[in-house]
Amino acid sequence: MGDSTNSLIWVILGLPLAGSLVQALFGKRVIESMGPKKGRWTMGFLAVLPIAIAFILGVVITLGLSGQAPDARSHISTLGDWISISSIRIPFEALIDPLSMTMVLIITGIGSLIHLYSTGYMSEEQDYSRFFTYLNLFISCMLILVLANNLVLMFIGWEGVGLCSYLLIAFWYKDINNAKAGNKAFIVNRIGDWGLTLGMFLIFCILSKPENSALLHAANGRWLSYDVILPHAVQIFSNDPGMATAIALLLFVGACGKSAQFPLYFWLPDAMAGPTPVSALIHAATMVTAGVFLVNRMHVFYELSPVASAVVVCVGAFTALFAALIAFGQTDIKKVLAYSTVSQLGYMFIGCGAGAYWAGMFHVTTHAFFKACLFLGSGAVIHAMAHNQDMRNYGNLFKYLKITAWTMIIATLAIAGFPLLAGYWSKEAIIGAALGNSQAVVGDNLNLGVIAGWLALITAGLTAWYMTRLAMLTFFGGEERWRSIKPAQHHAHAHDHAEHAHHDGHAHEDAHGFFYTDEEAKAQAAAIPEVHHHELDRKHEPHEVPASMWLPLVVLAALSVVGGWALGHDEVFRNWLYPEGKLAVLTASTVPGEASQIPLKLYSMIAAFGGLIIGYLIYRKGLPKREGWDLNLWSPFRKSAANQFGFNDMLMNAGVEGGGELGNAIWKVFDVKIIDGIVNGLGALAMGLGGLFRKIQTGYVRNYAMAMTFGGLLILAIALGAYYKLPIFGTTQPAPPAVYHHIQTLGGGQ
Amino acid sequence: MVPLAGYLGLGLFMFTMGVVGVMIRRNPIVIFMCIELMLNSVNLTFVAFARYGSVTHHGSGIQSAMAGQMIVIFVMAVAAAEVAVGLGIIMAIFRLRKSIDIDDMSLLRG
Repeated sequence: MGDSTNSLIWVILGLPLAGSLVQALFGKRVIESMGPKKGRWTMGFLAVLPIAIAFILGVVITLGLSGQAPDARSHISTLGDWISISSIRIPFEALIDPLSMTMVLIITGIGSLIHLYSTGYMSEEQDYSRFFTYLNLFISCMLILVLANNLVLMFIGWEGVGLCSYLLIAFWYKDINNAKAGNKAFIVNRIGDWGLTLGMFLIFCILSKPENSALLHAANGRWLSYDVILPHAVQIFSNDPGMATAIALLLFVGACGKSAQFPLYFWLPDAMAGPTPVSALIHAATMVTAGVFLVNRMHVFYELSPVASAVVVCVGAFTALFAALIAFGQTDIKKVLAYSTVSQLGYMFIGCGAGAYWAGMFHVTTHAFFKACLFLGSGAVIHAMAHNQDMRNYGNLFKYLKITAWTMIIATLAIAGFPLLAGYWSKEAIIGAALGNSQAVVGDNLNLGVIAGWLALITAGLTAWYMTRLAMLTFFGGEERWRSIKPAQHHAHAHDHAEHAHHDGHAHEDAHGFFYTDEEAKAQAAAIPEVHHHELDRKHEPHEVPASMWLPLVVLAALSVVGGWALGHDEVFRNWLYPEGKLAVLTASTVPGEASQIPLKLYSMIAAFGGLIIGYLIYRKGLPKREGWDLNLWSPFRKSAANQFGFNDMLMNAGVEGGGELGNAIWKVFDVKIIDGIVNGLGALAMGLGGLFRKIQTGYVRNYAMAMTFGGLLILAIALGAYYKLPIFGTTQPAPPAVYHHIQTLGGGQ
Repeated sequence: MVPLAGYLGLGLFMFTMGVVGVMIRRNPIVIFMCIELMLNSVNLTFVAFARYGSVTHHGSGIQSAMAGQMIVIFVMAVAAAEVAVGLGIIMAIFRLRKSIDIDDMSLLRG
């Protein structure tokens, strides 16, 4: 692969950015001048095109890479310096290797499918080009994240995707809940970024120490570049395992925030407030896997630190089980998928913690296929059901939405681990690696990986169960439950297309607390044409979605079928990412089931079929009464699962309320009493002194004259006293001034 | 012949009268007169020293007599200029405020 092919990577990075700029600068004008229908088609085409071209270029580069010897599959393309000061140099440099190219293909491939889907899903949207501005910007940030060759450049992408996530979650910002959900995602991610940046600083501190001077020449100031950190990490940190653990754990805090692991998981379910394609692209397929990518990229630190690996495994296993349990209590179709995503991300971290980094990435890939398919399918269902997201209103949709139903059923089977579908391969790789784990071992023989493996197996059964619940409640059951909706009974509308300002009263406060005058409110209302918002009721007839929406579903369903086999058979994916000798420390085998004597295939099939059959039996007759509209009939477990077992409330109370109380207390004691006390005290002191001295300034000339007179007399007295040696004026006798002598002689002479 | 101490005593008396007048009177014209009184008491002292100093100190006597009388001429010139300026200011204040009471002019009070 020549240099010219390497520099193609900058074209891949530039295309989505250019697309975003085109959308931002020309989108609105094009749609206005060409009319809504044709204009939106044009802008939609211009949004999909750069991503599709980037995907094709990515395939070209990946094919070139795969033709090379495993050792040679790493290329750095440098564009120029970004930061260059005496102690550190950070160039714009891209790393082309199997890991980054795998992510590039997922991002651009799934990304272009979801862009295509969005052109259909958002076709009624007023802010059409704003949506695609954000979506293209997201792709470009995500590509920077995975392609960057140093941690600082990666951090640009890391923050960029966080920003786009925020913008897209709060896309329908007129509903205050959506805006709040966006804020929540952004703020919770700051906690993760705190860990990530600290980890970054720590790496810089250790590497740039004088005793690591052997690195000096190789690094040339590029202390945070992967090709400097990773090859030397084993040598530097094997004498200092504590520091390796600290770095690994700090980086994992960042991964937890981005990848929604316990306890930083609770922004992801709220993120479902965004449009469904966003949930599919950002909150299922790409951005939330950035944490897994980070652990893979920095895997040397986790290899060096069994403690950090154990933490990763435990957090992953607990999150997987915890989120799977919560999913049982959800009735919103997107919320179920959101918790399912959190749970599957937990799986990925189990794989990473157990030392099978490739298995984590493998699950990232297959999960991108089937979860994107599920989210897009749920979007199609929501689209067909007048934007009602509550599964209790669905039922028997198989009759109306044939393509959507089939693709979603395939994806459900894939996530459930149905044999030979995508999820089967990747989950088995993870569970096998966990059960045969030798990495996450604490103490002498506390093998946390094995425990996590068993938990993962249980969770696999639960996954099959709740996913069957979703599919059965939506597509089957014989009963078309929306037929029984009374016109007044409208539940759980996730977003409003038309949130109009109210036209009564004088000043209008919108949901964000902004005030508008009558004229402004009228102008705003006029700017939004009346959108006919169809509510779901008994007369509703669902229709299959247009081709731009079902085509991506079919492609993703096909990938969910063959993707696992294509990548999983004969260790193809493992040898692609981590060929022999790539792992620095780990020598133990992580081949599924090889190290353990457990009939893993049998167990995982029992889990998958067990879950599927239980789910089918419970939900085959439609919605059971104990999960229906009457919450009093719900079991205590389901009620508390619906409430996230109180964790969200607890964390929000501790974080928001507690933080508020703390801030309030600091304000009242420290700020008001101490800081203000000092400032006001100084002012009062100056005023008091001034008040004292101002009495002297009477403004009467005679007072000043008197002061002058007595002052002059005083000076005269001092001079005379000094001359006549009076004791109070000192002891030394000054030389008698000529004038006194003169006066004396004059007086004496007469 | 009146002794030097007599002239000096008169000068001291006139100066004190001037100082007290400046401090207690509220009419700026009178204050001016008091200032003139102080200046003239100093003039008297100069002239007295010039006259008596030249008697006792031969050699430098002519010079010191000349110096004392010169200073007196200067003081008179400066006093005349000062009165011209001062009366101008008083006129301006009177036009502005219809009053020349010195206690009304206390804008600099703190």
